[in-house]
Formats: sequence, C-alpha cells, structure tokens
Amino acid sequence: MSAILLIAVPLLAAFISILVKKVSPYLLLLVSLFALVYPFFMDMSDVIIGGFDSPIGINLVVNKFALTSLIAVNGLFFLVVAVNIAQYKKLSSILLVALAGLNGLLLTGDLFNLFVFIEISGIAAYLITTTNKKPLQTFNYLVAGTVGSSLYLLGLIILYNMSGTLNMADMATFVEGNGMYTLFPFLLMFIGLGVEAKLLPFNSWVKGILGHSNNLSGAMIASVYATAIALVFGKLLAGVFQIEGTLALIIALVLGITILAGEAMAYASTKAREILLYSSIAQAGIVILLFTVGLGAWATFFAIANGVSKFILFGVVNRLTEEVGSDEMDQLKGSFVNNKLIGVSFTVAALSILGLPLFFGFVVKMNSLIGFFEPDFVSNLPGGNFIFPIIILVASVIEGVYFVKLLTKLWYKDSDVKVNFTPLFKYVVVVLAVALIVFGLFQGEVEELVASLINPGGVFIWN
Amino acid sequence: MLQFAAIILLMLGLYGLLTQRNVIKIIISLNILEIGLNLFIISVGYFEGGLAPIFTSETPANPNFVDPLPQALVLTAIVIGVGTTALGLALARKIYQKYGTLNLDEMGEN
Amino acid sequence: MELSIEIFILATLAFGLMAYVIGRLHKQLGSIMTILGSLTIFGGIAYLGFTGGLTGETAYLTFTQFEISEFGLFFAIIVSFVFAMVSFFNPFFIKQYKYPALYSMLFMFSLAGAIGVFFSSNLLYLFFFFEFVVWTSLFLIPMGRSKKAASWYYGFSAAGSFMLLFAILMIYNANNGSFHISGIGSVTGTTQIIVFIFMSGAAFTKLGAFPLHIWLPKVLTNAPDPVSAVFSGGLEKLGAFVALLAIVNMGGIGFIIPSIDMYFGQMIIATLGALTIVFGTLMAIRQDDAKKLLAYSSMSNGGYILVGFSMLTSQGVAGGLYHIVAHAIASTAAFLAIAAVARVAGTTKMKELGGIIHKMPVTYMVYLIAIISMAGIPPMGGFISKWMIFQAVIDKGMIFIAIATVFGSIGSFLYVFRPLAALFLGQELPQFKKTVKEAPFFMLLPMIILSLLSVYTGVLPGVIIDFINKIFVDMQLNYNIVMNGFAIEGYTSGIEGVGPSLLNPLLIACVFGVGVFVAFLIFIVLKKSKKIDLMDTYTAGNFVYTEEHLHYSVDFYAPLERLYEKYIHIMKNFYKSLANKVREFGAFMKYFFFTNKPEITVFWIVALMVFLLWGDVL
Repeated sequence: MSAILLIAVPLLAAFISILVKKVSPYLLLLVSLFALVYPFFMDMSDVIIGGFDSPIGINLVVNKFALTSLIAVNGLFFLVVAVNIAQYKKLSSILLVALAGLNGLLLTGDLFNLFVFIEISGIAAYLITTTNKKPLQTFNYLVAGTVGSSLYLLGLIILYNMSGTLNMADMATFVEGNGMYTLFPFLLMFIGLGVEAKLLPFNSWVKGILGHSNNLSGAMIASVYATAIALVFGKLLAGVFQIEGTLALIIALVLGITILAGEAMAYASTKAREILLYSSIAQAGIVILLFTVGLGAWATFFAIANGVSKFILFGVVNRLTEEVGSDEMDQLKGSFVNNKLIGVSFTVAALSILGLPLFFGFVVKMNSLIGFFEPDFVSNLPGGNFIFPIIILVASVIEGVYFVKLLTKLWYKDSDVKVNFTPLFKYVVVVLAVALIVFGLFQGEVEELVASLINPGGVFIWN
Repeated sequence: MLQFAAIILLMLGLYGLLTQRNVIKIIISLNILEIGLNLFIISVGYFEGGLAPIFTSETPANPNFVDPLPQALVLTAIVIGVGTTALGLALARKIYQKYGTLNLDEMGEN
Repeated sequence: MELSIEIFILATLAFGLMAYVIGRLHKQLGSIMTILGSLTIFGGIAYLGFTGGLTGETAYLTFTQFEISEFGLFFAIIVSFVFAMVSFFNPFFIKQYKYPALYSMLFMFSLAGAIGVFFSSNLLYLFFFFEFVVWTSLFLIPMGRSKKAASWYYGFSAAGSFMLLFAILMIYNANNGSFHISGIGSVTGTTQIIVFIFMSGAAFTKLGAFPLHIWLPKVLTNAPDPVSAVFSGGLEKLGAFVALLAIVNMGGIGFIIPSIDMYFGQMIIATLGALTIVFGTLMAIRQDDAKKLLAYSSMSNGGYILVGFSMLTSQGVAGGLYHIVAHAIASTAAFLAIAAVARVAGTTKMKELGGIIHKMPVTYMVYLIAIISMAGIPPMGGFISKWMIFQAVIDKGMIFIAIATVFGSIGSFLYVFRPLAALFLGQELPQFKKTVKEAPFFMLLPMIILSLLSVYTGVLPGVIIDFINKIFVDMQLNYNIVMNGFAIEGYTSGIEGVGPSLLNPLLIACVFGVGVFVAFLIFIVLKKSKKIDLMDTYTAGNFVYTEEHLHYSVDFYAPLERLYEKYIHIMKNFYKSLANKVREFGAFMKYFFFTNKPEITVFWIVALMVFLLWGDVL
C-alpha cells in the first residue's frame, strides 16, 4: 500500500466534501481516522512519484521517523477533530486540506515539495484561525507565514542553483563538501521555517493567534501544527543542513533566546492562554535545539510529548475561557474544584511538560539531557556541550514556577466556577493524560522505541 | 541582469511590508515580493540565448535549452501566491467589516 | 526473612493509592491508612535493616538499581519514622484540607520517593525519586494557609534538584556513561569542583541553608501543621543525604589551607553553614509565629549538620549524623506539639496564645523536651551531637565557626524559650478556657514516643554511635568513634598521661536529674504563685481592650532585634528582585516582539539579514 494515499485521500475527500456539504463532517472524521490507522499498515519503502527515480523525481520517504511522526500528528489531529467538529462543521473541507498538507510535510523527501506542503497546510491554518474572529491577527499570521515561506523558497532556489537538485538526500550529500557556500541559503531557510516553528524574533503572530484561540484553533495550532512543523524542521536541521561557523552562532543565539525569553515571557503573563503560548514557544525552541545538536531521536519524542500535553492544556483552558469569558488567571481560579477529572488531566499534562517523574515528559527530558553528556557527544553549536543543558535547566525552573502558580490558583482557590465539559472531551483528555503516565512508567520500552529511530552508526535516520 | 531586477523587487516588497500601514497595500507588497521571488527562480534557469525547453520538429540536434525545472517551480509558486493573495484580500474585507477602516493605525487594537 | 527494597517502595505507593480510594469514601479512614502504611514501612525497613534482610534486587522496577547501604538505611529509618509519627496526626487534621483523599495519597507517595532516594544506586533514578518527592510534597503545601508558598517551594526545589541533575550528568560524563553511585567519588579535576559545587547547592536548597533558605520558613509556616513536621523532620533530611554524598563522600575539594588543615571547598561549606546557624538564629528570635520560629530554628540546625560534615573528622561527621537523628526527633516533636495547640486554638501566633499548660500539660512537656534537645542542653540528643560538632570545630582551631556554633546554641535558648513562655505559660487567656482541651490519646502517643527517644538519644548514645561507625565502614571512611563504657571518646589532649576527653551522657543525665529533683523540691516547699486574670494588670487606670498588645511576648527581644532588623530582608529581596528581573525581561521581550503588527516579524528578519550581510559576517 502506498503512502501517497495519505495525501491523496484527504485531498480527494476535501473536493468531495465541498460538493456534499451535509456529510462532510463524517467524511472528515472517517478520513482522519483512516490517516491515523493507515501508517500502521504501511511498508517501509520510499515512494516514487511519476516514474522518475529519486534524485530526479519527487519521492515520499517512509521510514520509522516518518511513521512515528505520522502516527503522532494524525492521532492528535483525529482527536482534535473528533472533539470539536460538532462546533465547527463548516470547516470540514479546510481541515481535510490541512490533513493532506500535514501528511505531505511529514512524508515528502523533496525540498520544493516541502514548500508546497508548507503553503497548503499554512493556508489551511490561516483559515482555521479565522474562527477566532480576529481577522487582523489572522492577517498578521498570513503576512508572517507568507514572508517566511518566501524566504524558505529563496534559500531553496539558491541551493538548487548551486547543487542542481531538490532532493533532500541528494542535497545532503552535496552540502557535505560545500559547507561554506551554503550558509546563506540555509540561513534564509532557517528563518523561513523559524516563522512557522515559533522561534523568537520571527514569531510575533503567535500571540495574536493563540492568545485569542478557540477550542479548535488552539489545539490545532499549538498541538498538531506545532508538532508537525517541529518534526519537519528537525528533519531538515538534522539531515540536510550543514551547521557550522556563523550559521551555528546565529542558530545558537536564536534558540537560546527563544528558550529563555519564552519562559520569561510566560512568567510575566497573567493570562492563562498567554502563559501556555509563551511556554510553547520555549518548548519549540528546545525541540529545535535538540534536533540541531543531533539528538533527533529524543527530540522527536520531546515534540510528541509536548504536543499531547499542549492538546490537553489548550483544550481545557480554551473551554474554561469560553465559559468564564476571560482567560485571566484570577478569573479562572478555582475552576478545577468542581471539575476534578479535567483538573487532574490538566495537572498531569503540566507536570509532564515540567519533566517531573512518573510522566512522559520526564523520560524525554532526562534522556535528551543525558544526550548532551554522553562521553562521545560533541555539540556543533558554539558554547560547548554544557551551555545548552544549563539553559534548558534554567528555563525549566522558571517554567516550573509559573506552572505551579497556575495550578495552585486553579486548584486551591475557592470559587463557584462550574464549567461543563462534553463527555467526549473528558474521555479524550483523560485517555491522553493516562497515556502520558503510561509512557512515563514504561521507560525501558520508550527507550527501545527511540533507539529504533537511530541506526547502527548512531546517526538519526531521516532519509 | 535579471537577478538584479528580481532582488530589487524583493527589496521593494520588504520595504513595502515594513512601511505600509494599509492592509491592501501590505498585500500588494507581498505580491511584489512574490513576483521578485518568481523572477529570481526563473533567472536561475535562464541563460542568454537559451531555447524554450520544448521538443518540436524544429529543435536543433544539440539543443541549448534553458533549465525547465525552475519554470515548473514558478508555476506552482504563482498558484500558491494567488491563493495567498485571495485569502489576504478576503481577510482585508473582514477587517474592513469589523473595524471600518483598512489602516492598521486606526484600528486601535493591539 | 529477605525482602527487596522495591517491595517497600511499591507497597508505600500501594498504600498511597489505597488511602486515596478509601479516603474518597471516608476521609478519616483514608488517613488511618497512612498510619498503617507508614508504620508498616518503618517497621519493615527498621526490622529488616537491622537483621540484614533487605536486598536491592529489582524484579518490578527493572529500570533502576538499588543497593542497601548503611547510610541509606540510616536515613530511611529516620525519615520513615518521622512519617510514621506524623501520620498519627493526619486523622485529626484531615477535615481541614481541601482534598483529603489526595492528601493521604501524596503523603504516602512522598515517603515512597524519599525511600527511593536513599537506596538508589543509580544516580539518575536517585534524581527521579528526588523529583518525585518534590512534586508529591508540592501539592501538600497549598492545603495549608498560603498558596504562594508552593511556588516558592517549587522554585527553590527545582533549582536545587536541577543542580543535582547537572552534577549527576557531569559524573555520568566523567565516568564514561555510568550512573553508578560510586562514580561520585571517582571524578577528578575541574569536574570534581563543579560536581561538588552543584551537589552542595542541591543539599543547601533541600536543607534550607543560607543563601538558599527562603523557601523553608515560608513552607514550614504555611503548610498544613503535620506537613510542616514532615518537612522539618523528614524531607529536609534529603538535603543532609545529598550533603553527605557531596561533602563527605567526595573527600577534600580544592587546596588545603595549611593553618587549619582544611580543604578550601569544605571551608566554604563550613562558613556557609555557620552563616546559616547565625542567620537562622537571628531570624528565629524575632518571629511572632511559633511555627515560623521553629522553621528558622530548623534552618539553623541544618547549619550544624553542614558544619559537622565539612570538618571531615570522625567527631565532625559523626556529630553531623547524630544531629540528623536528634534534630529529626526534636523538631518533629516540636512541630507536632505546636500542631496540637494550633488544632484546638486555631492559631500559632504567640501573642494570641497563653496559658495553654493548664489544659495541655502533656503537650507542654513534649514541647519542653523538644526545645531542650534543639537548644543542645543535656540530657537530650541535641546536646550530644552539638558537643561532638563543637569539639570537632575547636579541634580544627576554627575560631569563627566555633563562635557561630556557640552563638547558635545560646541564641536557641533565647528563641525556643519564647513559645514555651508565650504559648504554654503565663495567664490563661479567657477565650481558651472553654475550647482548649488536651490532645486525644493518639496524638499524644507519637509525641510521647518522640520525647522518650529524645531523652534516650541523649542518655544512651551507644546504639546510634554503633550505627554511625557502621556507616563509616560502609562508606570506606577512615573515621571511628570509640565508646568507652557509656562515654564517647573525644580527642586526646596531647599532654602525656592525659587520656582522651570523655563525654558521659549517663553521668550528665544523672546530675541533671538530681538538679531537676532539687528544683522540684524547692517548687514544692516554697509558696505557690498566685493565679491572676489577664485583665488583672496595671493599665494606668484604663480598660484593656486590645489585650494582645499587653502580651509579654510582644516585642520580647526588641532591643536585640533593633541591632539587625535593617538587614534581615537582604536575601529575600535579592530573590524577589531576581524574580522581578525575569518578569521584566519577559515583559521587555513581549513589548519588543509581540506588538501584533505584521511588520514586526518582517523587521526582525530584515534586520538580521542586514546585520549578517554587512561586511563578511557570512
């Protein structure tokens, strides 16, 4: 069975859903379930499109990394859709396009093709965020996103001019010998992808979008899109980019500032959604950092763990905000007193993000940090091996303080806030929280899973 | 020469994005940026005296074609650009409906 | 009988879950589960530990490894004992909590985490359990008075545990990818210094030592009353455990200072320990809240442990270890006594209390014994440990440290006496005449046990000294404390014909007993004091409306306080301004990057590229 179906079926369904509007939500559910189940039955072989072999034609890369990310992203996508579709039936076709775009992002082995999928998923994302009813913010997102992808394309074309190829694997071999000349195009691509991946100087859109998000757009952008973009960006950083010299310095600075400033900004915020969105900026920085220094296998799971947690956090906070009418922490205080199950799931998700033991977050955070301290590890970023672990740890302390503040406010203050969560949402959130605990408990199994992402040479598989 | 034109257009687009306060003008700036980019892509494959990469009965035996790939890429890029522009304009309309103005400074919301 | 330590950890967790499930059905029953659970765990570990029946095999928690070491056992017995004693208070306090079932569960969970820390031989999982304790105990705190204390606690704890993690990872890096605990001793060079600094940092935060102490008084004051006892007597000892690993196990750090024969690293620790003692004492003197006072006293006692360890001599390290026992017992007893008072009186502010002794004589006695031990007066456990520490310090010739330790002891007379006088003695306040009753039997039981142990450790130190000697052998340290009959041998004076100094606690206790007897005789023989009402006092012809202000515990040490009251908030303000700086930095970044104008992103992109293209950066 071919991986192309993952892209083709949602696109086809998107067209059909325009014609038959009534069944479109069911079609969406069906297709996204298909996209979740299908990767389990896929063969691990590259798919060649149009009969041209891989350096010349476009190919889809199906490997363990792709499968893992597909399952995670499609799983989250399905859950987001399943929970919210009743409220946003009109968006069915757009969500189908988004699904096609995201799957394409994760599968494609061609750099230009990647640009196309970035734009497809990007346009779908702009449309999803229009449900926030903040057209100006969506417009900002559109401008930033378009400029970003234009820069990516510019860098890509310069690279193409030099190497004569658009295939990722081929490009990687070309880059290896010509590191110096590729710095500028890589920088352009880094900035371009950085816009979508929420890296600091390029992410002014995030506040407008996630700060006013609703049930659908919050979980979609912060959880599904963030995971997918982080994984794709990571794939490029780990597999294609040659990071050295000035580029390494820039990346190090951007990532370091993103992580620290993200946490500081979250600490300075008083609105629940703002706290979460700034925190997710910092998390994105950490994930990209791990990919950059060559700890891709754990970075993959870091991104996934973060995606799952953010689904719960944004889902719950958005629902609370909708009911209470404000996302100021002081207005939301005591919300969990009457919603214990939701509260516990929220707490689990938050503690998992903090990397506390018993939860999935601990496993990924610890193992990522251990990666920095492996005796044979050499960081390709300036500052030596130990600067970035310290940054991550300092960031974790700040993160902990504001999350604990948020949690104590939500749990321990008295209030009569009573919010009704739909049973489906409750089930989904609880199941995800349980999943975070289960993955946190079976550390050995997780480690094996991650080890399978690394081939015998110790290099993270991407192509 | 073509590259210079492309880069000037790119710069113009960026300048427009930085300075313009009108939503429509920003969209136009984005378009200029994209046109510059598209021109750049074309310029990558073009060289003086190259033929269009189409095999016909009149094609010489050892044809001196320009690179066809950038042209294919540009087609895709243009289509995507049109989509983005359309979406931008739709948003501009929404913005106008909501705020009664297209000038970012007059919206009073930050 | 042989049992693996993981069984105990799993059993503790299981008890926690059971406590939760039962607690959902019936609050008190759930908290009674914590009593059963922690007693079982304490009994099991103590019994099997002394009979050599504990093993470190892992059948279920296969990802980690345990090893039974004597010092791990030492700490585990103390901490599980403290938990067991405190758990008796849970049923009486459970109604005050917002989430009673959760309380019972987390209470047991933090015990499980603590046991895990003490027996882990894999440093990564030592950290795992360390963090586990942090977050399980974290949610106990906001059930008390203040919600803010929790974020202070987490901030410091996280800083501490991440320092520990960093040290652990450095060890891992230096030992070719091994997490085994023996690796602590085998790091060298710069790595050794870094590991030492970070591990000490972790120990300082957990122990609440200067300058990382801010969380301790906040948590101990605001946490629910039994939880304060757990923190002070039990969880703080995690810090002592890490301190033992860092300060003693790693050996001397840095160069030797010839004049006093001390390593530089240990010298710094000793100095900071002494500062902790002084600072804790000074702060304790000026508190009005009995719990806060005990919190600062707890802090200053942590300083003694650090000073003892950093001496790196038999007497010093043994004194530190002995102090862990003595302080765990005494401070648990003191906190429990205050908790018993708070339960009936509803406050721990000294100026609002008085004359409780008339209604709660047993609690009074418990508190009295506890503070005697904390102040280091014979015949209680605290005396022996402090004596050993004094001796070690003086033997090193460290005058200033010695002054600090003596100051701490004298100071503790000043402050521990105040709650005694203000809470228990004095006129009986009218509002408590009806409401206050002696605590029920099951609350008195642990307090009495603790008091008896305080006396026992002060009179017959043999058992604990033996244990400490075993720890020395187990840790392959070249230390030994010799027991001469009932007496502890100290240093030899160096003068010919004069043997080592001897401390005979039994003799001291007898002398002390005689003294008490004489005092009691005098008390019987002399005329009884006259009981008067609180209002029966001189008021210059006015009616007394706000009688709290006439309470003699108000501004008790005002002249002394005036000497240093300007300087007391330095550290607190430092951390507050640090937090403010983070917040300002965040606000600054927000202002710069998130103004919701589309051109901002474009601007930064252009600016970055211009910067890079400007003259050959790329």
